[in-house]
Amino acid sequence: MFEVRRLSKSFGGIHAVNDCSFAVDEGSITALIGPNGAGKTTVFNLISGTLASDSGEVWLEGKRIDSLRPHQITRRGMSRTFQITRTLEDLTVLENLIVQSRVTGIGGLFRKAIGSAEEARAMELLDFVGITRLAHEEARNLSFGQKKLMDFAALLMSEPKIILLDEPAGGVNPTLLEAIVGHIQELNRGGLTVLIVEHNIELVMSISHKVVVMAYGSVIAEGEPDAIQADRRVLDAYLGAQSADA
Amino acid sequence: MTDRQNIDTVLAERDAYNAALAGTRRRGGSWPALLVILAALALFPLVQLTGGNWNYPLHLMLYAFMYVAMTSGWNILGGFAGYISIGHNVFFCIGGYVSGMLLASYGISSFLTAPLAGVVAMAVGFCVGFITLRVRGPAFIISSIALLMVARILFDNWDFVGGSNGISLPRMELPVQYVKIPYYYAMLVIAVASLVASYAIRHSKFGLGLRAISQDEIKAESAGIDTRFYKILAFAISAFFVGTAGAIWGEYMTYIRPNIFLIILVAANMVLMCILGGKGTVAGPVVGTVLLIAFNEFFVSQFGASQINILGTGIIMILALMFFPNGIVGTLRRRGRLPRILDWD
Ligand SMILES: Nc1ncnc2c1ncn2[C@@H]1O[C@H](COP(=O)(O)OP(=O)(O)O)[C@@H](O)[C@H]1O
Ligand SMILES: [Mg+2]
Repeated sequence: MFEVRRLSKSFGGIHAVNDCSFAVDEGSITALIGPNGAGKTTVFNLISGTLASDSGEVWLEGKRIDSLRPHQITRRGMSRTFQITRTLEDLTVLENLIVQSRVTGIGGLFRKAIGSAEEARAMELLDFVGITRLAHEEARNLSFGQKKLMDFAALLMSEPKIILLDEPAGGVNPTLLEAIVGHIQELNRGGLTVLIVEHNIELVMSISHKVVVMAYGSVIAEGEPDAIQADRRVLDAYLGAQSADA
Repeated sequence: MTDRQNIDTVLAERDAYNAALAGTRRRGGSWPALLVILAALALFPLVQLTGGNWNYPLHLMLYAFMYVAMTSGWNILGGFAGYISIGHNVFFCIGGYVSGMLLASYGISSFLTAPLAGVVAMAVGFCVGFITLRVRGPAFIISSIALLMVARILFDNWDFVGGSNGISLPRMELPVQYVKIPYYYAMLVIAVASLVASYAIRHSKFGLGLRAISQDEIKAESAGIDTRFYKILAFAISAFFVGTAGAIWGEYMTYIRPNIFLIILVAANMVLMCILGGKGTVAGPVVGTVLLIAFNEFFVSQFGASQINILGTGIIMILALMFFPNGIVGTLRRRGRLPRILDWD
C-alpha cells in the first residue's frame, strides 16, 4: 500500500537518511524504531512532504507522491503527527480539528468555517479521545497530554487511510499511554493503516505487525516483532548507539 | 463531601465553563446597534445644510474611513495570516495612479474606476505575493520594505506619470460646502465593504486556514491547507482594498505624486492602527484607526503640527500595548471583557 524506495536526505555533511527502503502493508501497524538520531523523524518529514528528499521515491497506493506538497499528500489520505506536538494555540480545540477537514475548490474556501456536519464529526472524535468538555477552549490552555489527545483526534478529521505517528507516547504518563494505544488499535481494527515511531520497545512489540529498524539513516532489519527482538544486529545498533552517546 | 461528589462538582463546573465558551462563540456582534451607527454616519453630511462649515470634521471622517478600509485590508494578510507587510502603501499608490491617470487622460471619474484600480492592485499583489510569500517572518517584512523602495524609485523616475512631480488632476466642480461629500461616501462604502469582506473571511474556511497559517505554517500545510495559495489570495484581497482607497484619495487630493502615497508614514499607520486595535480581529482595525487618529488630532490641537504629536502618539501607542498586548479588541476578548458591540469575530 505504501512504500519508501531508496530515500536519501543529508543536512550538510550528515546523511540523516541514507538509501532507506521499506514497505507498509495495508491494514497493518508497522513500527519504525531505531536509536536517537537514526533518521526516523526525517523519514516522516520526507514522506509527508514537509522536507524535500535528495533522492528516492515514495509510493502511496500505486502512485508516486514524493514530489507532492504536504497538503496534497494529506488529501491523498495520509496524515501525520509531529514528534513535538504542534498545536494551533490561538484556535479552539474544535477549530484545531475542523481545520484538518477537507476543503474543496475555491467555493469551498468561502463556506462557513465550521459546518454542522463537520462539527458533529469533530465532537464525535473528541468524544472518542475523551475531551469533549474542552471543545471550545483555546488550545493554548490545554495540558501536554490533552494536546496529544487533541492532536490525535485532529489527525482523523481528514479521514485518512494511513496515519504516521511520531512518538505518540513520548513524555506521556502510563494511563494516557494505555488510552492512546487503545485508540490506535481500535482504529486499526477499523481498517486504518498505521506507521508508528516509538521508543517504548514493549509497546512496539505488543501492538505492531511488523517492525522496521533504522540506524544511521538506513534500514538494518525488518520483520515480525519476535524475529526482530531476537535479531543480533538490532541489539548491536541500540547498544552501539548508546555507547557512542556515552 | 466524598471524593465522588467532589469530582462531579469539578466536572459540572467544567461543563458549564465549556458551555459558556460555546455561547460566546455563537453570540456574535449586536447588529441593530451597528446599523444605527452606520445610518448615523450615512446621514452625517447633512450637517452641511445647517450652514456652518463642517468641512474639517468631514475631512477627518473620510480620512478615518480610508484608514479603516486600508487597515482592515492589511489585516487580512497581516492579522489573519500573520504576514507583516510594511510596504502595503505600494498598492495605495497603484490604486491612486490607475484612477488618477484615467482621470487625467480620459476624464473618467475615480468613483467609476476605483474598483478597476482595486483589481489592478490585486493583480500586482498576486504577482508580488507569488514571489515574496516564499519567505516568512523577518525576511518577509524586509521584502515588503524592499518593494516599497523599488516602487518609490520606479514612480519617482517614470516620466509617463510625471516622475517625482506627479500629475495634477481636475477638480470636481462643486460649491465649497459640498466638495467633501462625494469622497466621504466613497470612502464610507469602501470601509464598509472591507469590513464585510473581513467578517466574511474571518468566518470562512479560508479565514480559519489563514489563522492556522499564522500560528504554525508547517502544521497548517500538513493539515491539508494549500498554504501558498491561501497566502497569495490573502495578499491579493488585502491589496484590493488598499488600492481602491488609493483611487479615491488621489482624486480627493487633486494630484497624484509619489510622496503622498509612497511614504513610510502611510504604511506605518496601517500597521500601528491594526496592532493597536487588535491584529487578526475584525473590529480591531476600526478601533485602532479611530484611536490613533483621535490621539493625533488631540496632540496636534494641543501642540501644533510639530514633531510632538508624533512623539505623543508614539508614547500612547507604547502604553496601550503594555496594557493591551494583543491590541485592544484582542486583549479584551481574551479577558472576556469585550463589549458586545465590538465582538465581530
Ligand atoms: N533540520 C535539520 N538540520 C540538520 N540536521 C538535522 C535536521 N533534522 C535532523 N537532523 C539530523 O539528522 C539526524 C536524524 O535526525 P532525526 O530524523 O530527528 O532522528 P530520529 O527521529 O530518528 O531521532 C540527526 O543526526 C539530526 O541531528
Ligand atoms: Mg525523532
